[in-house]
Amino acid sequence: MYMWINGICRYLIPFFAAALLSLPILAHAKQWAELTPVEQDALSPLSAEWGSLPEKRQQRLLKLAQHYPKLTPEKKERFHKRLVPWSKLTPEQHNRAREKYKAFNKVPPEKREEVKKMIHARETGGSVASAVPPAPAAH
Amino acid sequence: MNEKLNTESVRQLLNRSSARIASPTLASLRAAREKALVRYDARSSVPAFAWATALVGSGNTAGPMRRHYYWASIILLAACLFSATNFMMHALEHDDSEVDVAILTDDLPIDVYVD
Repeated sequence: MYMWINGICRYLIPFFAAALLSLPILAHAKQWAELTPVEQDALSPLSAEWGSLPEKRQQRLLKLAQHYPKLTPEKKERFHKRLVPWSKLTPEQHNRAREKYKAFNKVPPEKREEVKKMIHARETGGSVASAVPPAPAAH
Repeated sequence: MNEKLNTESVRQLLNRSSARIASPTLASLRAAREKALVRYDARSSVPAFAWATALVGSGNTAGPMRRHYYWASIILLAACLFSATNFMMHALEHDDSEVDVAILTDDLPIDVYVD
């Protein structure tokens, strides 16, 4: 019994302490060259500015990149086209956009299609920013 | 004197008065006791964070060094807790990536959703 306790104290506790202390290293920001080929492919529009992005934003973008291989070619193209403007938005703008997207998806499909048609019709004429009704106020 | 002492002879010797014990036997008893104490110290004085003590100086934990050992353990524990909490907060952060990808690949432009 004594040997067991002694063994735990001498080896396991220092081992777990070292493991816990190394956790932030695992979550640390990556350099562009450290990304996997899939991540680089997904985030290629951001390759030039990747190093200057804040660590938290890099982490969020890496999460997006995980979904990239499952997208259709058409959606991959849209993803690439919109990634740069999306990455430049503030966290508040991201939250607001998510709320609006979720709210819009709760609208009945036929009304949603109507709005989409209206937006596509306006797209050629100018701004479309106010086409989707505002999301309910965040609590 | 290389006399071997077993537990029975030790018990018998202890039952006699010390005055009646021959000095070679007393010397042998003292040597056996010291040997046992040294072995006991070696087993019981290695603390869990002995390596932390080694970092701040010597293996002797008496006096000021014991205080160093104590503070090193506290700092290490605090660092572990901070590190684990930080990592857990990061890991448990709400994952919005599915919605983000849906917005980025939607057939409506992102301007529609951005104020």
